[in-house]
Amino acid sequence: MEEIFVPAVGMAMDNVVLLEWLKNPGDTVNAGDVIAIIETDKTTMDIAAETAGVMGAHKYQVNDEVPAGNTIAVILGPGESE
Amino acid sequence: MSNLSKEWAHSSLRGMMLIREFEETADKLSLRGKIPGGIHNSSGQEAVAVGVLSALDPLDVIATTHRSHHHTLAKGFSAREVMAELFTKSTGVSRGRGGSMHLGDFHRGHFGGNGIVGAGVGIAMGAALGIQQRGDAKVSVGFVGDGGVNTGRTWEAINMAVIWKLPLIVIIDNNQYAVETFVDRVTGGGDIAKRGEGFGLPSYTINGQDVVEVNEYTAKARQRALAGEGPTIINALTYRYYGHNVGEKGQYRTQDEILDWKTNRDPIDLFIARATSEGLITDSEVAALRDDVKKEVEDAVDFAEKSPQPDLNSILVDVDSGLLGGK
Repeated sequence: MEEIFVPAVGMAMDNVVLLEWLKNPGDTVNAGDVIAIIETDKTTMDIAAETAGVMGAHKYQVNDEVPAGNTIAVILGPGESE
Repeated sequence: MSNLSKEWAHSSLRGMMLIREFEETADKLSLRGKIPGGIHNSSGQEAVAVGVLSALDPLDVIATTHRSHHHTLAKGFSAREVMAELFTKSTGVSRGRGGSMHLGDFHRGHFGGNGIVGAGVGIAMGAALGIQQRGDAKVSVGFVGDGGVNTGRTWEAINMAVIWKLPLIVIIDNNQYAVETFVDRVTGGGDIAKRGEGFGLPSYTINGQDVVEVNEYTAKARQRALAGEGPTIINALTYRYYGHNVGEKGQYRTQDEILDWKTNRDPIDLFIARATSEGLITDSEVAALRDDVKKEVEDAVDFAEKSPQPDLNSILVDVDSGLLGGK
């Protein structure tokens, strides 16, 4: 299981806004696929999966504020469940 | 028959593995927002740090760069105190004042990381002058990157070290990218080591992925420095596996290039292969070392998380000589 999270990449990054989900629960995900787009105080950023699997539930909705470091979804491997 | 000792091989391999495990762990913690301010990950550059530091005496001085975890761990600082510093805790190397980029402890010959490109050599040159003035049997090592070697201050310091025959060793921790700029695009004259000729000091370009080669060249440079013959430049070609800073979206290198270095030129894999073929280590000993460093880094994270932040009342400690109430 891979946790997809908002990376804390800025020097003082606090909350980001979830702009768009590109994968829905149950979708097949390949390694490198963009899962979501977020907006920081400086720019928009793609959040990609590192592993292949099946998309889990959206833990945040579009336009939600997400604290940096928080998990927004998981990618499920074979036989895994949330 | 190997010309390396079993003890050196095990300790060098363990040193490189510890750095790798430390950096992989710190990278994840930084992305999760647990480490404030970001880090500069040195994964891939372990052989430069361990090769150099294993050729030095514990009392020798180093001055490093913004990317300094590997040098600091290789100098013998514990994973606990380095991790605690990344977390800016009072138990850290710099008592929580410095964080990732300002690891240092003058009393243990570590003159610090810093945020100024090319500053390490100047600091180390000053330390080398101090060593010479006091007549100490020590050397000073300045680390600089491939970006830093194109700053004027680096060559001012090298020139002074040459004319005064200072016990200085300049290590170019050459990971080939100054942030996102490829070294060949911004470096006149090709091989950086050729510049040494113009300044009148021995200067070598070596394989920075080979911990033995780095160790041998550093040992030779140290002997020269101790003999009063002056400084040496070692340009160690290496590669960083991650971005310049944590979480960087790097689009200036191809995935093929990164994969090639990781697969064919990994300093840990290369040394395991050599040590194994020379009968210095067994597969089970390698596995035991991996477990060992994993436990050490887990313990370091636990230690860092549980350590207290610096006390606000201690804010003046180490800031002045006592005039303002500091100690």
